[in-house]
Amino acid sequence: MRPLWAAALALPGILPAAAVAQSVPDQGIFTLSYLDYRDWQPGADRMTVRSPSFYVLAPFAEKWTVQGSVVYDQMSGASPLWFNTLSGASGEGVHDYRTAGDVKVTRYYDRYAIGIGGAYSHERDYISRAASLDVRWWTADRNTTLAFGFGGSADYIHPTDRNLNDGNRETYDYLIGITQNLSPVDIVQSNVTYNDGRGYYSDPYKPLDTRPERRRILAWLTRYNHAFVEQNATLRLGYRFLNDSFGGTSNAFDIAWVQTLPQGWTLTPSYRYYTQGAADFYMNPPYPSGYVRGGYYSADTRLAAFGAMTFGLRADYDLTQGWSLYLSADYYRQDPSWRAFGEGSPGILTFSARWFAAGVNKTF
Amino acid sequence: MGSANELVLGGADDTTLTRAATVAIDDVHRIEAKYSRYRDDSVTTHINRAAGGDAVAVDAETAALLGYADACHRESEGRFDITSGVLRSVWDFRSPSPRKPTAAMLAEVLSRIGWAEVEWSATSVRLPRAGMELDFGGIGKEYAADRVATLCIEAGVKHGCVNLGGDVRVWGGRPDGAPWGIGVRHPRDEQSALAGVDLVDGAVATSGDYERYVEIDGRRYCHIIDAQSGEPVSAWQSISVIAPLAIVAGSHATIGMLYADRAPAFFARSGLRWLGVDAEGGVHSALDDDGPGLH
Repeated sequence: MRPLWAAALALPGILPAAAVAQSVPDQGIFTLSYLDYRDWQPGADRMTVRSPSFYVLAPFAEKWTVQGSVVYDQMSGASPLWFNTLSGASGEGVHDYRTAGDVKVTRYYDRYAIGIGGAYSHERDYISRAASLDVRWWTADRNTTLAFGFGGSADYIHPTDRNLNDGNRETYDYLIGITQNLSPVDIVQSNVTYNDGRGYYSDPYKPLDTRPERRRILAWLTRYNHAFVEQNATLRLGYRFLNDSFGGTSNAFDIAWVQTLPQGWTLTPSYRYYTQGAADFYMNPPYPSGYVRGGYYSADTRLAAFGAMTFGLRADYDLTQGWSLYLSADYYRQDPSWRAFGEGSPGILTFSARWFAAGVNKTF
Repeated sequence: MGSANELVLGGADDTTLTRAATVAIDDVHRIEAKYSRYRDDSVTTHINRAAGGDAVAVDAETAALLGYADACHRESEGRFDITSGVLRSVWDFRSPSPRKPTAAMLAEVLSRIGWAEVEWSATSVRLPRAGMELDFGGIGKEYAADRVATLCIEAGVKHGCVNLGGDVRVWGGRPDGAPWGIGVRHPRDEQSALAGVDLVDGAVATSGDYERYVEIDGRRYCHIIDAQSGEPVSAWQSISVIAPLAIVAGSHATIGMLYADRAPAFFARSGLRWLGVDAEGGVHSALDDDGPGLH
């Protein structure tokens, strides 16, 4: 892969470069290039086509959604658990499968803001409509912000695939959150979201996969940042508790230390621990043991019980004139025996990944 | 580009999104116009007309694409060759009554293929024999997808998904924080997905025998042709690859098709995740045993 990589990165404009700013962004641009990624797993015993994709990409997804996530954003727009687009050898069979649009309008007043959003997505076999309303209110000193949100979506699934029935799903989302400046060096944010869905949840790509028709998820996310002025550092803590009516409960704990060093360097070591319980209807291997005709069943290992840790280290270096560079290295390992609050699922292989990233950042 | 394209952007205000989309789509048209072999005024046509004659001056972008094609040629041990487009003249995928080319016809066309003999540098390229042709079709579309992502990111667009004829590049995840969900088309059922990939940043590209093909005496001959034998490949119905850039994913998918039963070893070496459907419809992926035989 390395020779092709080097050649690809030599292509002009393949990485964002501020020098080519055709329209000047009002904020820093950010480029990421994954230069090296590898994961491993003892043996090779996958039962479904889909699992490898999940395994490969979970670290990517976890990595970047953690960094970029603002729980609030999950209120806007539809979140169909379906494919956004299709990779094929040509446009054949791809055309005309999706028309989608979403819009959100936010009106700001002196002490509050109201946002109304709507989304519509139509594919050959899937229609989704969603609407959301959110209100944010802040105190005169802006030290406290409260957020309330409500969203609903209605999805219609009409698979053209062989052994599938039509399905509908209706979901309602509720959010309440607070962001509080405790002092000039402490800020805390806490959000509770509740998601109530009814309808078709089974995985259409897995035979025998039958899941309950109602799913309720309660999630509580709290983040706390504290700046240590004398040490020139910031401590970031995060905790998320999630309860899923499918049976699984998950806990995620994040900690990071952002240390500013002389001569433009910043070092950020980070650690994440994640653990989840198995869904009530998740059955251990071998497939399809535990399957009862007419009962709920899934062998999807994403619903199994396991624990996972991510260790990361990132170095940022500030150059002159708003340019900065960074390098980061992360190691992820998922192991059923690392589950907290119970036993991990038997018969699942451990999974490890490491990845390095490098990037250039330019602030204008 | 003669296929279905799609661009979904989010995470910026309407003005920024509109401007970014316009700039990006203009660039796709620019790349197509610059490298199309159907256009009289394209760089490709200009180079091909001069085959057997003088060297043609090229700009940095063209030179870099030639460099990339050269790397693909080496990585594929000569199977991937951007001078192999002339094989279209004997494998006519549009003909109503297709026939297999004779050995003599194949030999004549093969004599006009050979990237190794092309004289190229950072500023010029020369096709040494009359009748030789370059064809950037195998990498241009993926390069354009990466350019779309770059231009949009530079314009401040935080979340995006671009699909140029089945080659998909995404960045920033979906605006709602979830990864983009990318379906991989079933090679024998255009209406269903064979697998799904959740991706925040990266690309998925697929090469398949269903894009253009002819059936002769009940056998399928597809448009992906080994530059050394002149014969269409037949070991795989399709191969999909996940990589950080679309151009890397796309060329690996094509090279995998060309490597036939050695594709698993090639992917083991490359370190990229892949999923292939073999001629019998069996599914292979990175987590299968990478033995030499197919099962």
